[in-house]
Amino acid sequence: MAQNAKAEVHTGGCQCGAVRFRLQGPLVHASICNCRMCQKAFGNFFAPFANAATEPVWTRGKPAIFRSSERAERGFCPQCGTPLTYRWGDEVTALAIGAFDHPNEIVPTIEFAHENRHPFLNHIADLKAEPLGLTDEERDILAILKSFQHPDRDTDTWPVNNGGEL
Amino acid sequence: MELSGGCQCGAVRYRATAIQDNAHICHCRMCQKASGNYFAPLVGVAMADFRWTRGAPGTFRSSEPVERGFCRDCGTPLYYRNVQGGHISIMLGSLDEPARVPPLRQYGNEARLPFFDDLPHLDGRSSRTEDDMGDLGVLIRRTTHQHPDHDTSIWPTKESHE
Repeated sequence: MAQNAKAEVHTGGCQCGAVRFRLQGPLVHASICNCRMCQKAFGNFFAPFANAATEPVWTRGKPAIFRSSERAERGFCPQCGTPLTYRWGDEVTALAIGAFDHPNEIVPTIEFAHENRHPFLNHIADLKAEPLGLTDEERDILAILKSFQHPDRDTDTWPVNNGGEL
Repeated sequence: MELSGGCQCGAVRYRATAIQDNAHICHCRMCQKASGNYFAPLVGVAMADFRWTRGAPGTFRSSEPVERGFCRDCGTPLYYRNVQGGHISIMLGSLDEPARVPPLRQYGNEARLPFFDDLPHLDGRSSRTEDDMGDLGVLIRRTTHQHPDHDTSIWPTKESHE
Protein backbone atom coordinates (compact mmCIF):
# COMPACT_ATOMS: atom_id res chain seq x y z
CA MET A 1 0.00 0.00 0.00
CA ALA A 2 1.76 3.10 -1.24
CA GLN A 3 -0.72 5.54 0.20
CA ASN A 4 0.15 8.21 2.70
CA ALA A 5 1.32 6.09 5.62
CA LYS A 6 -0.46 8.26 8.16
CA ALA A 7 -3.71 7.83 6.30
CA GLU A 8 -3.45 4.05 6.39
CA VAL A 9 -6.10 2.62 8.68
CA HIS A 10 -7.02 -0.97 9.41
CA THR A 11 -10.23 -1.91 11.17
CA GLY A 12 -11.61 -5.18 12.43
CA GLY A 13 -13.29 -6.97 15.28
CA CYS A 14 -14.88 -10.13 16.53
CA GLN A 15 -17.57 -12.15 14.81
CA CYS A 16 -20.52 -10.68 16.72
CA GLY A 17 -19.20 -7.09 16.64
CA ALA A 18 -19.20 -6.43 20.40
CA VAL A 19 -15.45 -5.70 20.18
CA ARG A 20 -14.03 -3.53 17.39
CA PHE A 21 -10.54 -2.12 16.82
CA ARG A 22 -8.80 0.45 14.66
CA LEU A 23 -5.11 0.52 13.77
CA GLN A 24 -3.51 3.74 12.56
CA GLY A 25 -0.51 3.61 10.26
CA PRO A 26 1.12 0.85 8.23
CA LEU A 27 1.45 -2.69 9.52
CA VAL A 28 5.03 -3.45 10.50
CA HIS A 29 4.66 -7.17 11.20
CA ALA A 30 2.59 -10.07 9.85
CA SER A 31 3.32 -13.68 10.77
CA ILE A 32 1.93 -17.08 11.52
CA CYS A 33 2.95 -19.02 14.63
CA ASN A 34 2.71 -22.82 14.80
CA CYS A 35 3.56 -23.15 18.49
CA ARG A 36 1.24 -25.33 20.56
CA MET A 37 0.17 -22.33 22.64
CA CYS A 38 -1.07 -20.48 19.55
CA GLN A 39 -2.60 -23.64 18.10
CA LYS A 40 -4.65 -24.36 21.17
CA ALA A 41 -5.59 -20.74 21.83
CA PHE A 42 -7.04 -20.57 18.31
CA GLY A 43 -8.29 -24.17 18.10
CA ASN A 44 -6.42 -24.16 14.82
CA PHE A 45 -3.23 -25.20 13.05
CA PHE A 46 -1.53 -21.85 13.64
CA ALA A 47 -2.27 -18.29 14.72
CA PRO A 48 -1.82 -15.37 12.28
CA PHE A 49 -0.94 -12.01 13.83
CA ALA A 50 -0.21 -8.51 12.55
CA ASN A 51 0.60 -5.24 14.28
CA ALA A 52 1.26 -1.61 13.52
CA ALA A 53 3.91 0.41 15.39
CA THR A 54 1.26 1.70 17.78
CA GLU A 55 -1.39 0.17 19.99
CA PRO A 56 -4.82 -0.54 18.53
CA VAL A 57 -7.67 1.77 19.52
CA TRP A 58 -10.72 -0.11 20.80
CA THR A 59 -13.64 1.59 19.11
CA ARG A 60 -16.32 -0.63 20.64
CA GLY A 61 -16.04 -2.82 23.74
CA LYS A 62 -12.78 -4.40 24.87
CA PRO A 63 -11.44 -7.93 24.69
CA ALA A 64 -11.44 -10.22 27.71
CA ILE A 65 -7.92 -11.37 28.63
CA PHE A 66 -6.41 -14.78 29.33
CA ARG A 67 -2.88 -14.78 30.73
CA SER A 68 -1.47 -17.76 28.81
CA SER A 69 1.97 -17.50 30.42
CA GLU A 70 3.76 -15.18 32.80
CA ARG A 71 4.26 -12.38 30.32
CA ALA A 72 1.81 -13.22 27.56
CA GLU A 73 -1.79 -12.03 27.36
CA ARG A 74 -4.35 -13.19 24.85
CA GLY A 75 -7.52 -11.23 24.22
CA PHE A 76 -10.85 -12.54 22.95
CA CYS A 77 -14.46 -11.41 22.65
CA PRO A 78 -16.32 -12.39 25.82
CA GLN A 79 -19.60 -12.57 23.85
CA CYS A 80 -18.63 -14.72 20.85
CA GLY A 81 -15.13 -16.01 21.61
CA THR A 82 -13.25 -14.72 18.55
CA PRO A 83 -9.50 -14.70 19.36
CA LEU A 84 -8.33 -11.12 18.92
CA THR A 85 -4.97 -10.25 20.45
CA TYR A 86 -1.57 -11.39 21.64
CA ARG A 87 0.67 -9.23 23.77
CA TRP A 88 4.10 -10.08 25.15
CA GLY A 89 5.12 -7.96 28.13
CA ASP A 90 5.21 -4.30 27.17
CA GLU A 91 5.46 -4.96 23.44
CA VAL A 92 2.84 -3.64 21.09
CA THR A 93 -0.39 -5.63 20.88
CA ALA A 94 -0.70 -7.91 17.84
CA LEU A 95 -4.10 -8.64 16.30
CA ALA A 96 -5.48 -11.83 14.79
CA ILE A 97 -5.34 -11.37 11.02
CA GLY A 98 -8.63 -13.21 10.43
CA ALA A 99 -10.37 -10.64 12.62
CA PHE A 100 -9.39 -7.72 10.36
CA ASP A 101 -12.14 -6.50 8.06
CA HIS A 102 -9.89 -7.04 5.05
CA PRO A 103 -7.55 -9.93 5.87
CA ASN A 104 -6.69 -10.44 2.21
CA GLU A 105 -4.60 -7.24 2.40
CA ILE A 106 -2.34 -8.67 5.09
CA VAL A 107 0.19 -11.15 3.77
CA PRO A 108 2.27 -12.92 6.42
CA THR A 109 6.01 -12.93 5.77
CA ILE A 110 7.33 -14.69 8.87
CA GLU A 111 6.68 -18.14 10.27
CA PHE A 112 7.37 -18.94 13.92
CA ALA A 113 7.79 -22.38 15.52
CA HIS A 114 8.41 -24.03 12.17
CA GLU A 115 9.31 -27.29 13.92
CA ASN A 116 5.77 -27.60 15.26
CA ARG A 117 4.05 -27.22 11.91
CA HIS A 118 0.89 -29.25 11.66
CA PRO A 119 1.63 -31.87 8.96
CA PHE A 120 -1.30 -30.55 6.95
CA LEU A 121 0.48 -27.29 6.26
CA ASN A 122 2.92 -28.98 3.90
CA HIS A 123 0.04 -30.41 1.84
CA ILE A 124 -2.25 -27.43 1.48
CA ALA A 125 -2.23 -27.67 -2.30
CA ASP A 126 -3.37 -31.32 -2.19
CA LEU A 127 -6.67 -30.64 -0.44
CA LYS A 128 -9.72 -31.27 -2.57
CA ALA A 129 -11.52 -27.94 -3.05
CA GLU A 130 -15.29 -28.02 -2.62
CA PRO A 131 -17.65 -25.08 -3.00
CA LEU A 132 -19.47 -23.95 0.12
CA GLY A 133 -22.81 -25.18 -1.20
CA LEU A 134 -22.42 -28.56 -2.88
CA THR A 135 -26.01 -29.10 -3.96
CA ASP A 136 -28.79 -26.84 -5.22
CA GLU A 137 -30.54 -27.36 -1.90
CA GLU A 138 -27.48 -26.23 0.06
CA ARG A 139 -27.08 -23.20 -2.17
CA ASP A 140 -30.74 -22.30 -1.58
CA ILE A 141 -30.14 -22.51 2.16
CA LEU A 142 -27.08 -20.26 1.86
CA ALA A 143 -29.05 -17.75 -0.17
CA ILE A 144 -31.60 -17.22 2.60
CA LEU A 145 -29.26 -17.71 5.54
CA LYS A 146 -29.61 -14.89 8.01
CA SER A 147 -26.19 -14.11 9.38
CA PHE A 148 -25.64 -12.59 12.82
CA GLN A 149 -22.02 -11.84 11.99
CA HIS A 150 -20.99 -8.21 12.20
CA PRO A 151 -20.29 -6.73 8.74
CA ASP A 152 -16.67 -6.20 7.68
CA ARG A 153 -16.76 -2.47 8.38
CA ASP A 154 -17.37 -0.12 11.31
CA THR A 155 -21.00 0.51 12.22
CA ASP A 156 -22.59 3.32 14.24
CA THR A 157 -24.72 1.08 16.42
CA TRP A 158 -24.51 -2.43 17.79
CA PRO A 159 -26.11 -4.90 17.64
CA VAL A 160 -26.78 -4.31 13.97
CA ASN A 161 -29.42 -6.09 12.01
CA ASN A 162 -27.22 -6.64 9.01
CA GLY A 163 -28.78 -9.96 7.96
CA GLY A 164 -27.25 -12.16 5.35
CA GLU A 165 -23.73 -10.82 4.85
CA LEU A 166 -21.81 -14.05 4.59
CA MET B 1 -10.94 -43.35 17.17
CA GLU B 2 -10.99 -42.02 20.75
CA LEU B 3 -10.05 -38.36 20.93
CA SER B 4 -9.85 -35.77 23.68
CA GLY B 5 -9.39 -32.05 23.55
CA GLY B 6 -10.33 -28.72 25.06
CA CYS B 7 -9.56 -25.05 25.32
CA GLN B 8 -6.24 -23.39 26.09
CA CYS B 9 -6.85 -22.85 29.80
CA GLY B 10 -8.52 -26.25 30.36
CA ALA B 11 -11.81 -25.00 31.83
CA VAL B 12 -13.65 -26.82 29.02
CA ARG B 13 -12.70 -30.37 28.00
CA TYR B 14 -14.39 -32.88 25.71
CA ARG B 15 -14.09 -36.45 24.54
CA ALA B 16 -15.14 -38.10 21.27
CA THR B 17 -15.36 -41.85 20.78
CA ALA B 18 -15.67 -41.70 16.98
CA ILE B 19 -15.32 -39.08 14.27
CA GLN B 20 -16.94 -38.69 10.88
CA ASP B 21 -15.01 -39.07 7.64
CA ASN B 22 -15.26 -35.37 6.84
CA ALA B 23 -12.26 -33.57 8.32
CA HIS B 24 -11.97 -30.32 6.42
CA ILE B 25 -11.02 -26.69 6.57
CA CYS B 26 -13.61 -24.00 5.80
CA HIS B 27 -12.54 -20.66 4.31
CA CYS B 28 -15.92 -18.95 4.49
CA ARG B 29 -15.90 -15.47 6.01
CA MET B 30 -18.04 -16.66 8.92
CA CYS B 31 -15.47 -19.28 9.89
CA GLN B 32 -12.60 -16.86 9.29
CA LYS B 33 -13.96 -14.18 11.53
CA ALA B 34 -15.23 -16.57 14.22
CA SER B 35 -11.74 -18.03 14.50
CA GLY B 36 -9.69 -14.86 13.85
CA ASN B 37 -7.89 -16.91 11.28
CA TYR B 38 -7.69 -17.80 7.58
CA PHE B 39 -10.00 -20.80 7.93
CA ALA B 40 -11.62 -23.05 10.52
CA PRO B 41 -10.42 -26.68 10.64
CA LEU B 42 -13.30 -28.97 11.59
CA VAL B 43 -14.37 -32.60 11.92
CA GLY B 44 -17.89 -33.87 12.64
CA VAL B 45 -18.69 -36.00 15.69
CA ALA B 46 -22.14 -37.55 16.15
CA MET B 47 -23.70 -36.18 19.34
CA ALA B 48 -24.04 -39.75 20.56
CA ASP B 49 -20.25 -40.10 20.34
CA PHE B 50 -19.46 -36.79 22.04
CA ARG B 51 -19.50 -35.50 25.60
CA TRP B 52 -18.18 -32.56 27.58
CA THR B 53 -15.91 -33.90 30.32
CA ARG B 54 -15.23 -30.61 32.11
CA GLY B 55 -17.11 -27.33 32.09
CA ALA B 56 -19.39 -26.09 29.36
CA PRO B 57 -18.67 -23.73 26.46
CA GLY B 58 -20.14 -20.31 25.86
CA THR B 59 -22.13 -20.10 22.65
CA PHE B 60 -22.72 -17.56 19.92
CA ARG B 61 -25.52 -18.06 17.41
CA SER B 62 -23.65 -16.89 14.31
CA SER B 63 -26.71 -17.38 12.09
CA GLU B 64 -30.16 -18.87 12.48
CA PRO B 65 -29.07 -22.47 11.87
CA VAL B 66 -25.56 -22.28 13.34
CA GLU B 67 -24.16 -22.09 16.86
CA ARG B 68 -20.46 -21.68 17.67
CA GLY B 69 -18.95 -22.66 21.00
CA PHE B 70 -15.95 -21.19 22.80
CA CYS B 71 -14.37 -21.14 26.24
CA ARG B 72 -15.69 -18.22 28.29
CA ASP B 73 -12.49 -18.13 30.36
CA CYS B 74 -9.84 -18.09 27.61
CA GLY B 75 -11.74 -17.67 24.32
CA THR B 76 -10.58 -20.77 22.43
CA PRO B 77 -13.01 -21.49 19.58
CA LEU B 78 -14.25 -25.05 20.15
CA TYR B 79 -17.00 -26.00 17.73
CA TYR B 80 -19.43 -25.27 14.92
CA ARG B 81 -22.87 -26.84 15.08
CA ASN B 82 -26.01 -26.82 12.98
CA VAL B 83 -28.51 -26.68 15.81
CA GLN B 84 -30.90 -28.96 13.95
CA GLY B 85 -28.25 -31.49 12.97
CA GLY B 86 -27.20 -34.57 14.88
CA HIS B 87 -23.52 -33.79 15.09
CA ILE B 88 -21.06 -31.24 16.39
CA SER B 89 -18.00 -30.12 14.39
CA ILE B 90 -15.01 -29.61 16.61
CA MET B 91 -12.08 -27.32 15.92
CA LEU B 92 -9.14 -29.56 15.01
CA GLY B 93 -6.56 -27.38 16.75
CA SER B 94 -8.38 -27.90 20.06
CA LEU B 95 -7.67 -31.63 19.91
CA ASP B 96 -4.94 -32.83 22.25
CA GLU B 97 -3.29 -34.51 19.26
CA PRO B 98 -4.28 -32.48 16.22
CA ALA B 99 -1.90 -34.35 13.92
CA ARG B 100 -4.12 -37.44 14.24
CA VAL B 101 -6.90 -35.87 12.17
CA PRO B 102 -5.60 -34.44 8.90
CA PRO B 103 -8.11 -32.40 6.89
CA LEU B 104 -9.17 -33.99 3.60
CA ARG B 105 -11.11 -31.23 1.87
CA GLN B 106 -11.54 -27.49 1.82
CA TYR B 107 -14.86 -25.67 1.67
CA GLY B 108 -15.89 -22.06 1.23
CA ASN B 109 -13.23 -21.55 -1.42
CA GLU B 110 -14.96 -18.39 -2.59
CA ALA B 111 -13.43 -16.68 0.43
CA ARG B 112 -10.05 -18.42 0.30
CA LEU B 113 -7.36 -15.85 0.96
CA PRO B 114 -5.03 -15.14 -1.96
CA PHE B 115 -1.84 -16.11 -0.12
CA PHE B 116 -3.24 -19.36 1.28
CA ASP B 117 -1.36 -21.55 -1.19
CA ASP B 118 1.89 -19.77 -0.33
CA LEU B 119 1.75 -20.53 3.39
CA PRO B 120 3.97 -23.63 3.15
CA HIS B 121 6.57 -21.52 1.36
CA LEU B 122 7.01 -18.61 3.73
CA ASP B 123 10.58 -17.35 3.63
CA GLY B 124 12.69 -20.09 5.21
CA ARG B 125 15.29 -17.61 6.38
CA SER B 126 12.71 -15.96 8.57
CA SER B 127 11.35 -19.25 9.86
CA ARG B 128 12.18 -19.52 13.54
CA THR B 129 11.71 -22.38 15.97
CA GLU B 130 10.87 -21.98 19.62
CA ASP B 131 14.50 -22.80 20.40
CA ASP B 132 15.56 -19.71 18.44
CA MET B 133 13.48 -17.62 20.78
CA GLY B 134 16.06 -17.94 23.53
CA ASP B 135 15.03 -16.63 26.93
CA LEU B 136 11.55 -15.83 25.72
CA GLY B 137 10.89 -19.46 24.73
CA VAL B 138 12.27 -20.68 28.03
CA LEU B 139 10.11 -18.26 30.01
CA ILE B 140 6.98 -19.28 28.11
CA ARG B 141 7.66 -22.98 28.71
CA ARG B 142 8.40 -22.40 32.38
CA THR B 143 5.34 -20.28 33.11
CA THR B 144 2.70 -21.58 30.71
CA HIS B 145 -0.91 -21.49 31.93
CA GLN B 146 -1.99 -23.69 29.05
CA HIS B 147 -3.70 -26.93 29.99
CA PRO B 148 -1.60 -30.00 29.09
CA ASP B 149 -2.59 -32.01 26.00
CA HIS B 150 -4.32 -34.74 27.96
CA ASP B 151 -7.16 -35.09 30.44
CA THR B 152 -6.41 -34.15 34.06
CA SER B 153 -8.30 -35.13 37.19
CA ILE B 154 -8.31 -31.64 38.70
CA TRP B 155 -8.39 -28.13 37.32
CA PRO B 156 -6.73 -25.70 37.61
CA THR B 157 -3.76 -27.98 37.76
CA LYS B 158 -0.14 -27.34 38.68
CA GLU B 159 0.67 -29.53 35.73
CA SER B 160 -0.36 -26.73 33.43
CA HIS B 161 3.02 -25.26 34.28
CA GLU B 162 4.81 -28.10 32.51
